[in-house]
Amino acid sequence: MPNAYYTCNLLPLELVVRAGYSPRWLGEHLQDPGATARRDALSIHPMTCPYVTSLVAAADALFDGGPGEDVLLVPGGCDAMRRMGDLLAATYPGRVFVLPLGRSSQEGVVRTLASDLAGLERWLEQKAASRRLAKLPDFTGREPPARLGVESGPAPGSGRSQGAGVEGGPTSRLQVDARARAEIEAQTGTTKQTPRVDYPSPPRPGGVFVVAGPLTDDSLLRLIGQLGAWVSGLESCTSPDRWRPLAAAGAAREAIPDPPPGAGAAPAADAATAPPHDYHAALAREILAAGMCPRRSTVERRDYLVRRLEASRPSSIIYARQSFCDPGAYDALLVAQLAEERGLPYLEIEVGFPFEASGPLRTRVEAFLEAQLLDDDLLDDLLDLDGLEPGGLPDDLDEEV
Amino acid sequence: VPGVADVTGDSLSASLIRTAFLTATRWKAMQTRTARAYLQLHALAASLDMFKTGAVVPWVSYLFPTEILSSYGITPMIPEIGSATITGSDLRDQVEAASARMPLARDVCSYHRTALAAVENGMLPVPTMCLGTTPLCLGKECLLEMLATRHNVPFREIRVPLPPDTGEAPPEIIADVAEQIRVLHDDIGRWTGRKSNLKKAVELSNRASKAWGAIMAARLAGELEMDGRKTFALVFLGQLLWGTEAGADDFERLLTEKGRRDLLAPVLPEGRKLKRLLWLHTVPHHDRELFDLIQKRDAVVIFEEMGQMHLDTIDPDDPFPGLARRLTDHALWGTSARRARLNVTLAKQLKVDGAVHFNHWGCRHGLGSVPVVRSAFMEAGIPFLAIDGDALARGGPNQEKSLQQMESFLELL
Repeated sequence: MPNAYYTCNLLPLELVVRAGYSPRWLGEHLQDPGATARRDALSIHPMTCPYVTSLVAAADALFDGGPGEDVLLVPGGCDAMRRMGDLLAATYPGRVFVLPLGRSSQEGVVRTLASDLAGLERWLEQKAASRRLAKLPDFTGREPPARLGVESGPAPGSGRSQGAGVEGGPTSRLQVDARARAEIEAQTGTTKQTPRVDYPSPPRPGGVFVVAGPLTDDSLLRLIGQLGAWVSGLESCTSPDRWRPLAAAGAAREAIPDPPPGAGAAPAADAATAPPHDYHAALAREILAAGMCPRRSTVERRDYLVRRLEASRPSSIIYARQSFCDPGAYDALLVAQLAEERGLPYLEIEVGFPFEASGPLRTRVEAFLEAQLLDDDLLDDLLDLDGLEPGGLPDDLDEEV
Repeated sequence: VPGVADVTGDSLSASLIRTAFLTATRWKAMQTRTARAYLQLHALAASLDMFKTGAVVPWVSYLFPTEILSSYGITPMIPEIGSATITGSDLRDQVEAASARMPLARDVCSYHRTALAAVENGMLPVPTMCLGTTPLCLGKECLLEMLATRHNVPFREIRVPLPPDTGEAPPEIIADVAEQIRVLHDDIGRWTGRKSNLKKAVELSNRASKAWGAIMAARLAGELEMDGRKTFALVFLGQLLWGTEAGADDFERLLTEKGRRDLLAPVLPEGRKLKRLLWLHTVPHHDRELFDLIQKRDAVVIFEEMGQMHLDTIDPDDPFPGLARRLTDHALWGTSARRARLNVTLAKQLKVDGAVHFNHWGCRHGLGSVPVVRSAFMEAGIPFLAIDGDALARGGPNQEKSLQQMESFLELL
């Protein structure tokens, strides 16, 4: 089964699996930074975030000389990610699909995303159909046809159900869903092909609330634990608070009716404008509701963060921001303001991708947490004083607390 | 000497200083009688009004269809223009200091960072509303909405889907964007309590577009050679005046030789030919050295990518689809491949000797498209140079490096 690499977990994986692709999060295929780069490796401007920089290198290494059937799906929520998709699409024509993501959940944004999701599905199905055609036995004795270009249109009758057959042959919707689910479950269980980070220990109130971009692992959370504090919550696109609801929603989508026959068979040229089926609209709504990332509308993001902070009741906030990330930069201002409004200590650290919890970064986090522990100790001392005096703290000390 | 810092408010002194500023600029315009000088005068006059107490100040994105504002007699506050102006004024040191104090990351676009520092420190007027467009970048949408939230004013965003790589945006997309502009136009009237005269604003905008379109067509046809650095500044400031009587008059001044004489490309003695450059993206506003070097090496920026706007007129009786099309099909919107294709076509049409891309500090959409644009130029056999810099900077290590790069590039040409 060919691979469909993707860059953001808002991508509905069952669309990918139904089209006969194995979904792989590109973040799991990063290049060794110490490895020698190819002479003709793609290069991007150094003023690009580490996430996009690493993913471009990863995709370039995978696609250069790799299986020609593999594709890359790029949900483009920010300018850098969109341009990454552009670069790879120009370098590897016909193998990259950029899915624009809006900033809000307004009806117009839902409509546009639904249409783009329908376009993505058609694109994948056309590629799957081309692959099947290329593998048909040739009774004339000639060589099998070369891979068909996506511009040539879909294979006759390649609706969603037919297109879902992995290696040819119509497959029922239920069979496909079962296969999709099994595939996703298998990945999350052992092969870890989705961007998932989990809490090393259950989050609890009174700890550090971490806001971050995509993370490869839980090392930042573990670092906080190693330094004597604990985590109240993680807000990141790779956090369990994101991927768990997404996984649950994927399972619940089975209840949504199938699109009418041929809904997935419109010509590629119409992908941007064809009226999307309810299925895609529902998917779009779900993605936009779940994807409350820093790229989102400030008002929606603020409300969302307020809810998360209220639910996790932290004692401090750490923002792990990737350098050269525009949405992250403005989001960090917003989070700093939320911290100030709540009187919570706030630390912004600049991190790379993959995250490395060592060196100066560790020192900064350590100093920040130590300062809080010191504050807590002082508070304890005051409370001890409080215990000595039946009437409570003297007025002046009470004010200081 | 009074500066921009002294023009804020309704005091007699502020009013007198505003008048003094305008008088000096008006005198200069009357002396030269060029489109450029008059446009500077009118842009300054319109902008100074925004410093008066109670003024309606819409902070808008650079590509915002400003005609829907001028239809209400409102001047837009465009962060990029505000930042370029402030950093070119006596407030430069103050705004730089304010910017350095700000907790916003330093790696974001300097136009937006400076604009935020300026408004938060009383150097630019606070917004009455913030109006964005998805083109051209996400950063300014983040800035505008954050400002709207901080100042508790309305924020609206005109969502513009990416155009196809070839051909025009489909009619349904145009209709959707047009409807968003229409609704927003009505909202502005409701928020401000003013009455719109959109038809007149569009007619005035059309006068300007017709003139600018004719100039650009003549430049593309090789009938008119203008200095792209100077025309960039004209279009940049002109964004404040589309849909106004002054804007229409100023752009029409370009149609006369006298009116455009300070924008023309230099002519070399003894019939020697200039090296012709196509300039992509924005320009360093305050660094003269780069362009002095270009001139010294007998080269000229013959055309600027950013000047390609408002080239066609729109229907005054049904303006929204025309305003929408300007956004959907803008030369800098869309994929990197689209941008590359359009610019290579432009370069071939203009028969340029080379193309220069200015990598503005923190501009992800501009920087991100460079690899694809560079490959397209290389494939077409057109020399291409990308130089790093900050459009608002003066001097510094980036400038030295870009000067060296430019010198080598010009030698190569």
